[in-house]
Amino acid sequence: MAPRLGVVADNLATHREALSAARAGGAGLVVFPELGLTGYQLQDLAAEVAMRADDSRLLGLAAETKGLSAVVSFVEEAADHRLFISAALLEDGEVRFVHRKLFLPTYGLFDERRFFAAGDRLRTVDSRLGVKLGLAVCEDFWHLAVPETLALDGAQILINVSSSPGRDLAAVHEVGLGTAASWRNLMRTYAQLTTSFVVFCNRVGMDETISFWGGSEVIGPSGEAVFTAPLFDEGLHFVDIELGDVRRERIGLPLLRDERPELHLRELRRILAERAGIPVNEATESSGGAEPGGLETGGLEPGR
Amino acid sequence: MSAGSDSRHDGVAPRVAADSPDQTEPLFELPAELAIDADVARRVMVGFIRNQLRQAGFNHALLGLSGGIDSALVAFLAAEAIGPENLLCVLMPYRTSSPESVEHAMLVVDQLGCVSDTVDISAIVDGYFGRDGAIGAGGLGAVDAAPLRRGNFMARARMCSLYDRSVAWGGLVVGTGNKTESLIGYTTLFGDSACAFNPIGDLYKSQVRQVAAAIGVPEAIIRKAPSADLWPGQTDEQEAGFSYPELDRLLFWMIDKRRTDDELEAMGFRRQAIERVKRLVAVSEFKRQVPPVAKLGPRTTGVDYLYPRRRPGSAR
Repeated sequence: MAPRLGVVADNLATHREALSAARAGGAGLVVFPELGLTGYQLQDLAAEVAMRADDSRLLGLAAETKGLSAVVSFVEEAADHRLFISAALLEDGEVRFVHRKLFLPTYGLFDERRFFAAGDRLRTVDSRLGVKLGLAVCEDFWHLAVPETLALDGAQILINVSSSPGRDLAAVHEVGLGTAASWRNLMRTYAQLTTSFVVFCNRVGMDETISFWGGSEVIGPSGEAVFTAPLFDEGLHFVDIELGDVRRERIGLPLLRDERPELHLRELRRILAERAGIPVNEATESSGGAEPGGLETGGLEPGR
Repeated sequence: MSAGSDSRHDGVAPRVAADSPDQTEPLFELPAELAIDADVARRVMVGFIRNQLRQAGFNHALLGLSGGIDSALVAFLAAEAIGPENLLCVLMPYRTSSPESVEHAMLVVDQLGCVSDTVDISAIVDGYFGRDGAIGAGGLGAVDAAPLRRGNFMARARMCSLYDRSVAWGGLVVGTGNKTESLIGYTTLFGDSACAFNPIGDLYKSQVRQVAAAIGVPEAIIRKAPSADLWPGQTDEQEAGFSYPELDRLLFWMIDKRRTDDELEAMGFRRQAIERVKRLVAVSEFKRQVPPVAKLGPRTTGVDYLYPRRRPGSAR
């Protein structure tokens, strides 16, 4: 879809229509793109289109999800008036869960941190689909820890909603767009490494000077695309997925079983201590996983 | 500018159109690293034109058609975006302009079937600078004005005419400046750079040629030497002292790919050329930005009052 920038009422109507068409087509899970309810390039409009997670407009949309699941995205205003880019899971008439975007790109053409606060919780959510879902927003998936953590937390379907601006038209790229080539690599890699489904939903249309390139995808747990939407075209696409593929892949390729989160955690503690210049043994003692002789003793020089 | 011996960066000769009279001469030189996906570029630019107009509440557009490749490409894109019947191409020759410029502009108008109009700016320009010994509105000091002053005035006379026509036509002015000329400042502030929006401003000249060839801009326009046509025989490349493929490559590596001077030199660019182009880019920074406003109040446009141009309610 191509949201209208700052026109929440119109975008709500578009969501309702798509939900209704999706229901008629037998969909169990309907995914809308990042900031589909508001548009992306909001700048100071962000505060004007923000809504609380219990806003009647959002509850109204949720009411239309009886018997299905939907992921929608909006500007969320917290009780303390921080603004977040959020993605909500709506199920069976309720707002079931809200994920606040964790990573706000503020470089290159992006300026998100100026207008938004970053979320600080990463949790999976049980869904009526019978598996846990992991929600993430756009830049969240340019950080390895996000899909990894979601998979370790039990997600079998990772859902990334995006407003990815198309850029870099260099002819060397497979699909004529550098951004699309990068995302495709990432999604396949995450699906394969987490042996999960990855649903990537990216918007189309333009905000100001930016063209969003669409190209939404569903990637199976073996890393192969189950579905790829065309670039730049708006559309409601139906994709059948076989949740049994997750089990088959995880039995045959037990990467997730073999993950070593305790090792990761231990080394992360050490790395954080070193970065902060605090004694490594103090920082890591509580981890309980230290190997004898495996740690440096004494503090590190600040700034080292 | 470049040593030309580095085979990694040899230009690729694009396929010559099948009906080309000369199969041996490539239509234009396209450095390999600048090659883009012309179909994607065309789609994005056409969508951009359509969106900019729709969001502003317009369905008509107009542009100054010079007979050169930049405005020809924009005319093709705009005609595709909104239909040729909604596009007005305005030809604005001066009495010394090359007759070829008008001929080439008419090739575009005829091929697209768009609306066209001609404004002869001679009376405006001569009325200011004077002619044949007569003093014009600009007074004695304007009679012997250097070509730079005259060229800038012509560009602004064209801007005035175009913006006046935009009211009568009920359309927005589409910009036709490319990235190369913008970066080196080869443009007149509030003259040829004035527009409501610009679909090709992020394409280097070589890339303009690539997309122009793909979209069907007449070959004569693609082949001829680019010129501001401000005085007889003038060409961009002779004035700048660079060929466009060389200049585009240097700008691409310097700006888009963030190469340092030493890295550029190691790639085969001459130190002198690097320094000269860097100076041109730096000294023309003001032409690429809106004029600064002294910060006084609590919220200042462009600083801490930041709204999308196309905010709700912004359409006419």
